[in-house]
Order: sequence, then structure tokens, then C-alpha cells
Amino acid sequence: MNTASQKIRAIVRWDPPQSGEINMRIDNEMLADLTPNSPLVLRMYRWSRPTLSLGHFQNELEIPSQESWSAAPRVRRKTGGGAILHDLEWTYSLVIPGRPELGLKGHSEPIYRSTHQAVVEGLREMGWDAKLSEQCTCATLSRGKEASEEPFLCFMRRSPVDVLVGGDKILGSAQRRSASGLLQHGSFLLSASASTPQLPGLLNLPRNSRDAEGLESAGEVLGADTNGVRAAGSLVADTMVDLAMQFWGQWLADRLMAGVDQVVACDWDNA
Amino acid sequence: MTIKPEQLRFCESHEWAYVQGDVATVGISAFAVAELTDLVFMAMPKVGQKVVAGQEFGEVESVKAVSPMYSPVTGEVVEVNDPLANQLETLNSDPYDAGWIMKVKMSDPSELEKLLTWEAYQKQCGQS
Repeated sequence: MNTASQKIRAIVRWDPPQSGEINMRIDNEMLADLTPNSPLVLRMYRWSRPTLSLGHFQNELEIPSQESWSAAPRVRRKTGGGAILHDLEWTYSLVIPGRPELGLKGHSEPIYRSTHQAVVEGLREMGWDAKLSEQCTCATLSRGKEASEEPFLCFMRRSPVDVLVGGDKILGSAQRRSASGLLQHGSFLLSASASTPQLPGLLNLPRNSRDAEGLESAGEVLGADTNGVRAAGSLVADTMVDLAMQFWGQWLADRLMAGVDQVVACDWDNA
Repeated sequence: MTIKPEQLRFCESHEWAYVQGDVATVGISAFAVAELTDLVFMAMPKVGQKVVAGQEFGEVESVKAVSPMYSPVTGEVVEVNDPLANQLETLNSDPYDAGWIMKVKMSDPSELEKLLTWEAYQKQCGQS
């Protein structure tokens, strides 16, 4: 839990949908520009077109060419893990300046777990059967498993802190540490992409109706399947998708901020 | 070759150096290996690569996190432990010997004086 006596300045930054190159450049600059006096920054963003981001060490030659998502524009993240098709989702990046007294890993593990746990708790309050995975398909060499044996896509892998609804992964994150701090990057699936229909998003997954009783909130109204709404092709439908995206973006940011606050005392400001 | 940690010098960033003449053998400490947990990939340096004390020479990926490795000395890489990349479990079992990463021909051996002794490094890690 948070024991710091002085709050660190923290900013929530909202960016418009942009290309993969621009999105990755901004994330990388945020990490590169960190100094001990930098604010903590939570950046919320989307992508101007469906884009495949590769984990830092993933080999492009191992992309399964028969998959429809393999033709999407590609970028490479600074963080580890598997590839993500960014489409009907929110992406976040979180940069935290390093503190030498915290040692090699700094805040990395507590932040990773507490942000995801905060999302789990929020989803459970809204009636979804959410939990941390607490399992690992990781290709650690010490377990005699080659990296190439792992699914190429992040959302087909499982690591212990992934957020699942039922058995489906809807939030995955990965990190990069540097001498100056930490970058955590994550993707929150709202609806299945047409290119990855086997990977449902939150809004494709059922809620426990008993738990959800009385939750006729904005989330209930706006929690429509964005693919279905988009298919209507009308201005009204586009507006509904935009509203749903706004709602879930703000909801995710609030949960992530709550998780960060469990580890680092923050004085939040929206930019 | 059996190297004891008492024979090494350490960076605050957890890399070690074992010096024989003007060549430093470099690796990462048992503490770092334990902290990183579940290593899945290591991007090794290349023979002939110039490295600078305090600057990155490679990267290591644990489950979901990529971390840089910093050189304790300045010089040129003259040998790399290439098999290590496919046997990262060696870093758990023998981090100070078979788990070496690279050998560097030093251009400024005086830099060694800035590195920590084993005793000082243990204090930094809160292990003494």
C-alpha cells in the first residue's frame, strides 16, 4: 500500500486516434524523456486504423501469413510480450520516473498487478466474471519451452496478471524498464475485431445478470456491441460508438488511476 | 574456472565484471536474475561492438518486461557467450561463471575503481 508522504504529480493525457508510428513514437519519447522530477503520465489513446504492434523481440518472419491480421500495418513496441491487433479497444501507456531506492524493478511489479486488479474489481462490480489469470503460458527457457511455441498474439497467451472475463483475456499489459523509469503499455479489448473474431472483447461477453441488477447506468446503455452498432452505418450509430468509446476510455483511465494510487501517491491532473 | 563473487566488481545496475589483465568478463548478478524472474530472451552484444561504461550493451526480457543491461567498463567486445542466449537457465544455476555474457578489452581500466566491491554491492541489495 501507499506509504509515501508527498504526492507525485500525475497527468492523464488524452490523445486522438493516430497512426501506429506516431503512437509508438510518443510512447518511446515519454520514456526517453523521463527524469527523476518528471510527472507520472497515463496516456489514453486509440489508433486511426487497425494496426499490429509487435512485442520488442518478436520476429516478423514468424507472423503467420495465412491470418487476416497479418496484413495490417505493423509497428514495434518497446515493451515485451506478444503482438496485438489494435482495433476496437483502448490502449494506454503509463510512464513512471524511477526511484533508486526502489531497486532494480522499481514500481514495476506492484503497478502491473494493482492496475489490473483495479480493472478486475471494477468489472466485477458491473457484473462481469472478471479475474486475474494466475496462469502462465510463458515460453521461459527454464521450463524447456521455446519462444516460437507460444501463440504469436498477446491475447492468445496467458500470464499471471492478465485480466480475464470468464476464460477470455480482455486486458494485457507489458513493460519496459530503463535507467530513468518504467513504461507500462496495455490494451483493453472492447469488441472483437473483424480480423481476430476468435478474440472477444468485453462487450461480447455475458454479464452475470443477478450481479448486474440495478446497474442501468451509462455503461449498461453504452455497452452495446460496437461491431453491431457500427454495422448500422448511420450517423447515429457512429455517435453511439463514439459515446461508448468515450465511456469505456474514461472508465479504464479511472480504474488504472485507482490501481496506480495503490502503489504511488498521486496528485492527478487531466490534460 | 570457478569465480567467487568476492573476486568481482559490480555496477549499481547489477552487472558484474571479472578482470584478467586488460580483459573484463561481464555478466549480471544472481540478485538481478532472481529479481527479473522467468527470463525468456536475451539480446546479446556482438564481437567487435564498442561498449561504454554505464551505457546499454544488450537487453533481457523476462515475462512481459524488457530491461536493459549496462556495461561496467568501456572497450571493445572480444568474445560473446552465444550459447547462453539459448540456455538462460544457466543464469540461475551459475551466474558468475558459466553465465558470463561478454568479454571486453578495456580501454580505461581505471573505471574499475568506480565499481562496487561484493561487500558494498550486497549492502546495496539489502543482503548484508
